[in-house]
Amino acid sequence: MKALEVQNATKRFGGLVAVNNVSLEVNQGEIFSVIGPNGAGKTTFFNLLTGIYTPDEGRILLFGKDVTGFSPDRVAKEGVGRTFQNIRLFGAMTVLENLLVGMHIHIHVPYFHALFRTSLAQRAEKRAKEEAERLLFYVGLLHRKDELARNLPYGEQRKLEIARALALRPRLLLLDEPAAGMNPRETEDLQAFIQRLREELGITVILIEHDMRLVMRISDRIAVLEYGAKIAEGPPEEVRRNPRVIEAYLGKGAAGGAA
Amino acid sequence: MIPASLLLSLAFLLLSWLLPGALSAFVGFAALAFTAFARLPQGLRGLNLVLLTLGFTLGLKLSGNTLGLIGLVGILVALTTLRLPLGLRLLLGAAILLLSVPLAGFANTFVFELGIQIGIYAAMALGLNVVVGMAGLLDLGYAAFFAVGAYTWAIFGSEQARNFLKGSFPLPGEYMYLFMGIAIVTTAITGLVIGLPALRLRGDYLAIVTLGLGEVVRILANNLDHPINLTNGPQGITPVQRPPIDWFRHLMAALGVRLDQTTDYQLFFYLLVLLMIGLVILVNVNLANSRFGRAWVAIREDEIAAQSMGIPLLPTKLLAFMTGAAFSGVMGVIFAAQRTFVSPESFTLLASINILAMVILGGMGSIPGAILGAAALSILNLDILKTFSEFVRTSLPQIPNQVDPAKYERLVLGIILVLMMIYRPEGLIPEKRHRAEMEEA
Repeated sequence: MKALEVQNATKRFGGLVAVNNVSLEVNQGEIFSVIGPNGAGKTTFFNLLTGIYTPDEGRILLFGKDVTGFSPDRVAKEGVGRTFQNIRLFGAMTVLENLLVGMHIHIHVPYFHALFRTSLAQRAEKRAKEEAERLLFYVGLLHRKDELARNLPYGEQRKLEIARALALRPRLLLLDEPAAGMNPRETEDLQAFIQRLREELGITVILIEHDMRLVMRISDRIAVLEYGAKIAEGPPEEVRRNPRVIEAYLGKGAAGGAA
Repeated sequence: MIPASLLLSLAFLLLSWLLPGALSAFVGFAALAFTAFARLPQGLRGLNLVLLTLGFTLGLKLSGNTLGLIGLVGILVALTTLRLPLGLRLLLGAAILLLSVPLAGFANTFVFELGIQIGIYAAMALGLNVVVGMAGLLDLGYAAFFAVGAYTWAIFGSEQARNFLKGSFPLPGEYMYLFMGIAIVTTAITGLVIGLPALRLRGDYLAIVTLGLGEVVRILANNLDHPINLTNGPQGITPVQRPPIDWFRHLMAALGVRLDQTTDYQLFFYLLVLLMIGLVILVNVNLANSRFGRAWVAIREDEIAAQSMGIPLLPTKLLAFMTGAAFSGVMGVIFAAQRTFVSPESFTLLASINILAMVILGGMGSIPGAILGAAALSILNLDILKTFSEFVRTSLPQIPNQVDPAKYERLVLGIILVLMMIYRPEGLIPEKRHRAEMEEA
């Protein structure tokens, strides 16, 4: 069973075809990257996967289950966690509360128990807090747990967003430009961190990234989008040498010049 | 050497004994402001507050001047916001609510009336606080739920139900307690019916649609006197049954409190409203610290991120809407029974806006803020402006009727809100979250 199968997905906005007949498969336990020039439709593609947009054509299967047309919350319940290109934390909530929101679907407290804070509710809250703290320790943010998310420095906000996605206990993690704005040192840490996620938690990771060094080092396979269409797919070495990819990034004639 | 603040408080205490009335109340306000804003050690501050409480209570008891009530509200605010020992806070708070206000009420029953009004609006402001403060859903038709709750009891607790049902109506007064539960159900269902279409919209659009649907409820109440007479139309329904309170009279007699025909029900409803506020606060705090409260705040902050965490938008918003509606419904039942009269006039758009203004004035999302907002606006509307216009009418009779201050209630409210938005946009007692943000900035 594949972690993700996309079959001929197309998304149009009026006359613009943002995602054009894209098909791809991601294996379980893989680290898979989606790259492409600005405006190639990468984030739209992510939004199709997570249900923020519904594809006009095509199907999306998660772990063998057809989730085409699912709302974002139902996709999340299928075990898909994600981060956003422009960080979308709950800024006025504390670090710990952000994680507790991430654990929303795993805290099983019926409404009337929450209303009167019964012992069942208290126990569930306590368990959730402990798990959230463990997770914060795992990503190295435990010392920040009572701070407001918006007061964290940029790099820690990125980390917290990943931690919040992990709180969902995802099987598939979608990271939208996780290394944006990071210096080379931080990017290396991020690489080690993503690899740890796969090895220790067995999570499949799909990332959109512009930092080519990171992409080439970390990815098992890469898909390249240009003008919404997939123009190449394969292991890093293969993609790096693909003339269409070089052309997309550097312009016509560059492929010939490089050869 | 006696500290100046203590001297001032003692002077006020003496003054409210010798010369109770408006003048001594203003001295009390000055002493309270001094106590609250000057840098004082905790013990001295506590002692001052105790003396001030005594002073205001004495003044109220001797003169019945309701300005003293504002002082007591001020002390309650000081107790919730200043750093003081927990024991003192609880003790003094309980003394004010359970001793000072009833004592003042026996001297001037209008104090009870004010207390009950404040209480009913405070509980509703707390309900609206869930909807607007936590979940960020701007609801301009909140009074509709209050109406549904009030009519739920008014119809069956009066002869009104005879118009369309067989059976012995009015139901006996004890049924009011049962109907408080039934009103939770009827208002929650109303919340569902209104929320299901409205909550698909956001922001301004939601506000406009709730405003419209809220008016629909009032207009229904106004017109459902035919073909079947459900609501008795604009005349309203009266008399609505009150619960029998013999047990309460006995209880009070056992405690050595002598009640007469007017004060017994007033005291009873005052205490009932206090109890309800206690419950509503408890539920509010519980919800705020549960997965539901967090989901509401998450939706307010960022709908897409919240959805990506597996929080379904419409059901979660509906739950907030229905919870807020239920609070309002219960208070509606008490309102109907306390007044023994219900008519569509009490549930206009202005009532909705008034409750919303209480939440905003107090500080969105803040529990003590919502209560303070309710107290401030109720006292302003029911007491200060009325007293002021009385004063103008008697002392300046040549002034034409058109400039009667009571007629400018909304103008004054508007000015207060505009000033708030300029100087203290986070509200009088901002929620911890917001306060933390302000301190950071």
